[in-house]
Amino acid sequence: MQRISTNYKPPKEGLTLMKLLLICFLCLSGSLYAQSGDSATSSVLTKISGIVKGDKDSLINGANIVIEGTIDGATTDEKGFYEFETVQTGSKNIIITAIGYAENIMMIDIEGGKEMNINIKLKKDEVKTEEILVTASSYTSGTNAAVTLTPLEIVRIPGADADLYRAITTFPGSNQVNEGSRITVRGGDPDEVLTVLDLASLYNPFIFDETFNVSAYSTINPWGLKGINFTSGGFSAKYGNALSAVLDLKSFDMPQGSGMFAWLGLANASLSGVYLSKGGQFGGTFSASKIILGPYFAINGEYSEYSPIPQSNQIGGTFSYKLGTSSNIKAYANYSDDKVGIRNASPTYDGYYESSSNSYFGNVKLITGLDNNTVLNAGISLSRYDRDYNYGVIESDQIDTYAKGRVDITKQISNKIELNTGVEYEYDGYDLNGIFPQYQYNIRPGAQSFGIDTTQSSGRAGIYAETQIKPSDNFFIIPGLRSDYHTLSGNFSFDPRLSFGYRISENNIIRGALGYYHQYPGIENYLRAAENDLDAQNAIHYILGYEYNTGGPILFRVEGYYKDYGNLVLTDPVNFLYTSEGEGNVKGVDVFFKAKIKNKFTGWISYAYSDSKRKQYEATQLVPANYDITHNLSVVGSFNATDQLVLGAAFKVSTGKPYTPVTGSEFVKLQEAYKPIYAEINSGRFPTYSTLDMNAQYIFSLFGKFAVGVIAVNNIFNKKNLYNYTYNADYSQRIEVYSNNRRSFYAGLGLQL
Amino acid sequence: MKNKLTKLLIIIMMITVSGIANSRDDFEDAMMKARKNLTEASEKSDVALLKKARGQFERILQLKKDPWLVNYYIALADYSLSMTGSASNDPKTIKQYTESGMATLQKSIDLNPEFSESYILMKALNFNRWQYEQEKMQEIISATDAADKEASRLEPENPRYILLNGISNYWMPEAFGGGASKAIPDLEKSLELFSKRKEKSELYPEWGKDLAYGYLAMALTKRNDDGDMTKAKEMLDEGMKLFPGSGFISEYAMGEYKKAGSK
Repeated sequence: MQRISTNYKPPKEGLTLMKLLLICFLCLSGSLYAQSGDSATSSVLTKISGIVKGDKDSLINGANIVIEGTIDGATTDEKGFYEFETVQTGSKNIIITAIGYAENIMMIDIEGGKEMNINIKLKKDEVKTEEILVTASSYTSGTNAAVTLTPLEIVRIPGADADLYRAITTFPGSNQVNEGSRITVRGGDPDEVLTVLDLASLYNPFIFDETFNVSAYSTINPWGLKGINFTSGGFSAKYGNALSAVLDLKSFDMPQGSGMFAWLGLANASLSGVYLSKGGQFGGTFSASKIILGPYFAINGEYSEYSPIPQSNQIGGTFSYKLGTSSNIKAYANYSDDKVGIRNASPTYDGYYESSSNSYFGNVKLITGLDNNTVLNAGISLSRYDRDYNYGVIESDQIDTYAKGRVDITKQISNKIELNTGVEYEYDGYDLNGIFPQYQYNIRPGAQSFGIDTTQSSGRAGIYAETQIKPSDNFFIIPGLRSDYHTLSGNFSFDPRLSFGYRISENNIIRGALGYYHQYPGIENYLRAAENDLDAQNAIHYILGYEYNTGGPILFRVEGYYKDYGNLVLTDPVNFLYTSEGEGNVKGVDVFFKAKIKNKFTGWISYAYSDSKRKQYEATQLVPANYDITHNLSVVGSFNATDQLVLGAAFKVSTGKPYTPVTGSEFVKLQEAYKPIYAEINSGRFPTYSTLDMNAQYIFSLFGKFAVGVIAVNNIFNKKNLYNYTYNADYSQRIEVYSNNRRSFYAGLGLQL
Repeated sequence: MKNKLTKLLIIIMMITVSGIANSRDDFEDAMMKARKNLTEASEKSDVALLKKARGQFERILQLKKDPWLVNYYIALADYSLSMTGSASNDPKTIKQYTESGMATLQKSIDLNPEFSESYILMKALNFNRWQYEQEKMQEIISATDAADKEASRLEPENPRYILLNGISNYWMPEAFGGGASKAIPDLEKSLELFSKRKEKSELYPEWGKDLAYGYLAMALTKRNDDGDMTKAKEMLDEGMKLFPGSGFISEYAMGEYKKAGSK
């Protein structure tokens, strides 16, 4: 090279060309040199050996060691030992990798021919840190090992009827309302549980909600969810206006593939589909279902008289579009309706309780990465729930309208700190129109009544910030603060919250939470308050729990909690207006044990003890809360008899809920009706509730397509659980009204199209 | 001057080309060696050798040439390792290597989304998930279907794609639409396609032919009607002749044949 450049004397142009060629050559040879390794190699071989270890000095078999930029290296054997020879010399990086461990890069100085012994230690991947980030009182689905609930488990839980909410009630701390999908948590009211779907609040994701002796069902399809996080207390500052619990659901941003699925059962039929474009640029889903109870009643019989029999329709879908590598927009819409007439005999009227509702929900959500460490989620939603019911003199038409806008920003400041902040505004419209009895005890047609035609609306603006801090792999702490402003009452609320977790050892974790929680009373309460003067109801949550988690086969949790309520709605005994003078408390223990034995058996036992007392609405002192269930036990098991056949059983038993007994009556001549005389509020209890449900699922191929057949028997022992008490005309005789959820058989067949 | 300049250019070109060629040889040599080791290790189902072969491919990544193909082979090694877990009924191993394989294969697909072999392997890896996370049934079905559709779209006549369908049918009970008889046409077609196949590059995957012989022999054995045992033996003999090191043919498939013959 040097000889060519010195001996040759070209003209000026030639010199320029020569220089160019030489530069090209030098560049090319330089790049080749760089590719072959680094600055130095020698003809002398150097032997490098050592041992690769992991946590607790465990020997890693199959770890790979390589000198950067070369293929010189080796793989460790079962003793963690490696050995190789190289001609490389000088300062070199060696890269050490092993499945389940974080990559390690070390710089070494290789002196040609001088044998080297390098022992290496690898750290586990960060997975453990994610696991510990599950906060207190949370039951989640997802990809980490702390998963306690999966979509398949939801559809397989006997008695849950593939309903997300019913499935959740097999976990400690939550109970069904009237054996339906509405849930109460730790002795609170059902409306103290907030459901969030992709940033939107869902207030009526049910059919047959608040209907007499007909169980409500959820309209949420568990298969469309990529994440389920149910928190029965101590939840994050990102959730506002919820006193007891949060069910946070995240749907898939983009469908996972394309296909259709049809279902035909004794009580229902549905068709759903997903589509994902080639390249994954856009996708959509749809689902339509209809409840048809004719065949179901024909086989199981009717325990009540219906006119019409329960019927419902649902249709919904999503559309997702990928705006860029880190941006996605998704629109979601759903419509559902229901209609039922069920005969009921009350002291003053024996007739059909007729109910119908329709519900619309729409949501648009945008997710975008602002930079490598910052993600923005924004959403707007609108829902409208219109419910009518008639019974005796009562004719009610209520419309609830909700609109919400929300923006959340998550910023990963470092691998130890993450900041979450956001704002939201929620509009709540209430419209009630109808005729109501002047006296609650007389509802016969023609009874003295009054008309209501009222409209009210309110808004709530909220802001929050919280920081997720992980000082070490074994410890996290999440301080947060939120504030809300309620336009109708003109009141602010402030909620400082704190959550933490500490891993004592590999499988043992302690978690806790402490914080303020506020929820403004439902808008209908303000109609009975002087000048809308109702404060936000509040609760202070204190939670401490222990978890043993082997990351697979065994999960055990025990958690104690105490909640102190204030500003509950209470009736002023003088003017009968609502005030914020109510109070209450609840204390309890939740125990959860889940076991998975290979792929054969999955099951869990959950037990909850709770003591919930409130002075609320008409109560004059602390009395058991409406949903104070002292003991609640669920045992759920699922057994894979073969690869195709899965058998399941679930047993639930719980203390009966409180009720207010009638101790006598007086005849009111003007009304031609008896007026009941009540004992202390909630001083009586229903009998113990129990049910044993079983099901079987059979997976097979039909016409070359995936198919699943299900048979289920609910309430096998035909236990007559009490729905309510009613009375004869003068209240001298108490009559049990049993739940219609008696022994029932269900069969269904699903087919992938 | 012109001559001198031409000579110089030639020298430069020669040095440059030989440098590039040497570099390519390093890569190709390393790939061929690693693939040979992987094939042998897979045939023997030897965990230690499989890990070594996997490590060789990992090190080849350092050459930064065709990382999509190197990652494909790492995922293939992961798949073979997961199958050793399957044989020893060890869900932890199946899960560890299946997940590693899927993650690595995704890297390969991201770099080269038009390589049909990747989707065939992705489908096979997703099958494994049934063994440790049945609860994600919907996700598994979607992922398997998506991989199947892409493999079929890119290369419907790929013998390994057809082979996988045959294997799937072989294991699926007759009551569910599968069975040995249903598997035979796909296995036969796969063998036919293997015999005609010429890969675009000698570095491209070549696994599967021994499996086709073995599975076809087993399917013929299971079919249990006249003439099947003879043809099954033919397949075994032919397979053993072509793949003398294949433990799958000489031990597993032959074992099934002998069991059927002793009945």
